[in-house]
Amino acid sequence: MELSVVQNAVCTFCGCVCDDIELHADGQRIVETKRACILGEAWFKHHTAERLYPAALIDGREASLEEAIACAAEILERADLPLIYGLSNITCEAQREAVWLAETVGAVIDSHTSL
Amino acid sequence: MVLVDIRETPSAKAADIFLQIRPGKDFEVLTILRALIKGQAVEAEAVRPTGLTLEQLQDLAQRLKKARFGVLFFGMGLSMTRGKHMNSAAALTLAAELNAFTKFVAMPMRGHGNVTGADVVLRYTTAYPFGVSLSRGYPRFNPGEFSTVDLLVRGDTDATLVVGADPGATMPQPAIEHLRRTPTIVLDPKVTHTSRLAKVHITTAATGISAPGTVYRMDEIPLPLRPILHSPYPTDEHVIRSIRQTIQNRGGGFLPTPDHLQIA
Ligand code: SF4
Repeated sequence: MELSVVQNAVCTFCGCVCDDIELHADGQRIVETKRACILGEAWFKHHTAERLYPAALIDGREASLEEAIACAAEILERADLPLIYGLSNITCEAQREAVWLAETVGAVIDSHTSL
Repeated sequence: MVLVDIRETPSAKAADIFLQIRPGKDFEVLTILRALIKGQAVEAEAVRPTGLTLEQLQDLAQRLKKARFGVLFFGMGLSMTRGKHMNSAAALTLAAELNAFTKFVAMPMRGHGNVTGADVVLRYTTAYPFGVSLSRGYPRFNPGEFSTVDLLVRGDTDATLVVGADPGATMPQPAIEHLRRTPTIVLDPKVTHTSRLAKVHITTAATGISAPGTVYRMDEIPLPLRPILHSPYPTDEHVIRSIRQTIQNRGGGFLPTPDHLQIA
């Protein structure tokens, strides 16, 4: 497998968001990081492109992505006061989608900032 | 660098001055500092319960005013103790009032990757940074009422979507129990503590490693991600959008949202 290299990669493990990291990957996993701190390096090497977990779980049993999305939609739609929480380790694009979903179902939306 | 904490942490070695205050006295220290900065008289007696002396705080007040550009970094210890959001508000007010003398800013220290982005996105979409209720169809902000821990501990909510967080590992037990009791949906690159007590878990691509997009640095500088791997899993963005579209396609949803009023 050929090595791919990304310059100026961005680490999202902590709030510093270092943007000068060099990554080497073999398609499946990141094999080398340059300029990341110990925490950042562990974060990069920990996440691989392997299929380690089932696509989805419903009540602890494996399910397809489509089933899980349908189930999630039903739960949120039925709820009187749903809550959307977290938003910290996701992109701004995903956060924007979360706000739209919150508006659609009349939810409370909150992040780690409230802790 | 002046460090204020309730115990001597490893950071104290890097600090020029370390001030150890009594637990739960953050609000008092901040308020006394605000008085001293404005030149108001403070009795030594009033300072004693904070664990510091009047001289120490007078010295600090002078240093704050003399700085050419000061930054007040504050962490979660401030809002997690007695006084909660009132402490954060006092810290922000102190920084704001210091601008009568010099340039001063306040910045929360951030543990998680894009929590700053969450503030920014919520601010520009709803006008408030966190704890926003859209349950009446318009945004309402009230920390303590619409903050997650309070909602869960009181048992106000009846479903939760958790994205990019693992409250099952960090929140107080009554909050976790409520997540278990009510249907919880988790989106995460891993099966987390929260996934184990959730009704639905969906595995998503890891932000920045295999999911592209934008994140904000702690000082509110937006940075584009450069993912290096291709994940077999969909992104959080894709899954959240699909959930919303599923609801809208069924004609469901809390309020009708005409296309020209969509916010995202
Ligand atoms: S490399 Fe280290 S300091 Fe930089 S963002 Fe990642 S975890 Fe934080």
